[in-house]
Amino acid sequence: MLKVENLTAAYGKVSVLHGVSLTVRKGQVVTLIGSNGAGKTTTMRAISGMLVPASGTIRLGQQDITGLPAHRISRLGVAHSPEGRRVFPTQTVRDNLLLGAFSRLTFGRARGDVEGDLERALDLFPRLRERKDQLAGTLSGGEQQMLAMARALMLKPEVLLLDEPSMGLAPILVEEVFHIIRRLKEEGMTMLLVEQFAAAALGVADYGYVMENGRIAVEGPAVQLQDDPKVRAAYLGGGH
Amino acid sequence: MAILLQLLMSGIALGMIYAVIAFGYQSTFATSGTLNFGQGEALMLGALVGLSLAGTVSGGPYLNYWLMLPPVLLFGALQGVVVERIAVRPAIKTKSEFGWIMSTIALGIIFRNVAENIWGRDDLPFPSPLPTDPIHIFGASVLPMELLVVVGALVMMLGVEFFNRRTIYGKAVVATSTDRDAAGLMGINTSMVITFSYALSSMTAAFAGVLIAPVTLTGASMGAVLGLKAFAVAIIGGLNSGLGVVVGGILLGVAETTTGFYVSTGYKDVPGLILLLLVLSVKPSGLFGKTTIKKV
Repeated sequence: MLKVENLTAAYGKVSVLHGVSLTVRKGQVVTLIGSNGAGKTTTMRAISGMLVPASGTIRLGQQDITGLPAHRISRLGVAHSPEGRRVFPTQTVRDNLLLGAFSRLTFGRARGDVEGDLERALDLFPRLRERKDQLAGTLSGGEQQMLAMARALMLKPEVLLLDEPSMGLAPILVEEVFHIIRRLKEEGMTMLLVEQFAAAALGVADYGYVMENGRIAVEGPAVQLQDDPKVRAAYLGGGH
Repeated sequence: MAILLQLLMSGIALGMIYAVIAFGYQSTFATSGTLNFGQGEALMLGALVGLSLAGTVSGGPYLNYWLMLPPVLLFGALQGVVVERIAVRPAIKTKSEFGWIMSTIALGIIFRNVAENIWGRDDLPFPSPLPTDPIHIFGASVLPMELLVVVGALVMMLGVEFFNRRTIYGKAVVATSTDRDAAGLMGINTSMVITFSYALSSMTAAFAGVLIAPVTLTGASMGAVLGLKAFAVAIIGGLNSGLGVVVGGILLGVAETTTGFYVSTGYKDVPGLILLLLVLSVKPSGLFGKTTIKKV
């Protein structure tokens, strides 16, 4: 479904990715873990077109999407719930969700049942239903995170990229977010998940990649990574 | 008292014109962080194209005032697209921080020269679509055209507000203004939105041009001062506040007409500029400008 090969990327003169390769198969949940600054978010940004990679290729199905502008990649079915949530604070929750379905609403005709999907998104995130006419900027951090995820789902994506969906959330909300990820997985959603909570991420994922300094250090089936002594020591130790 | 009321009415009409032009400055600033410093020239071109269609200068009239509006608005939009493509997009692409300032000014000067060659250097009268006899409201005599200016300006601004709130395209424009990267992730072609905002900006300026032309004179040099004063209005009101430009515009318009009458026409531009300096030193984001708070 999604295949990244030898991806390199840089911010100005500082290169942050040195040849990252990863594969996400249809229906799979793949997680990308690693410490801060390892290049997880940069990898996500390159896939969704927020950043033009220096070299390497990114394929969606048969199509080469390397370096395409973000809006074209989105229209091909890659939804990205970005780091820092990035909801539109001056617009209502409902408008944010409709914007998630933007490419399905243009040219005067809706593709698919957008209103129905809006209802389903609000069913999945009941907290958002209560706040659907509120401005997104007035939501709590946890609610904004749910909005960012719901907004990404409104695209009806082929692949869903989730960047740190648990960041800054209270433990109870983290649990809720993972509950929803599990539910999406049961529905067959293909996902690439970047997470700080490595244990939780490996718990829900089928396959995992561990990033270090802009490279993939270790990879393998999630259950195997959970038992890998090196991974355990570096990312799963202590309180988890 | 009647005189003061009359000065207020003229000031408000003038102020609404400033507000419409300033609204155009805001529209491009919101989506792209750039401004068209040739905004006054967009106004001038709109007025002169309108004059050619509805007046006698080019062998017309071909259309009456009302039928002339759609082609003028279309012309304004296309002119805005040209400005964005030639002067702004290259600067945005190369991430040049100030390139667009020089290039929009340069393009504005070129437009003015072209207009001088087509329509000449003299100011021309613009036929009024409404009776030129003043009507009396509470003892003040007001030109019907001045009322049309106020109504037209309000209709245009409310129209854009409706578009932004109610249509998916308008919502996309607002989203692009608040977070361009995130808007791209939604599948919104943000460079198209920027082009659109330039089209909208020049379209409103062209509209302001044909609104004000019947009460002033029309000519290649009419836009420079209006564009500059509208820029002051955008700064006074705040570059991100729709209400701000209306209030700022009316403040400036009324300050000019009253100073012109009670002090001297020679000093009529002074109070507005003093107001500008005051706002810049006390509240640089403008009277109604919001300092954006980012939640991380």
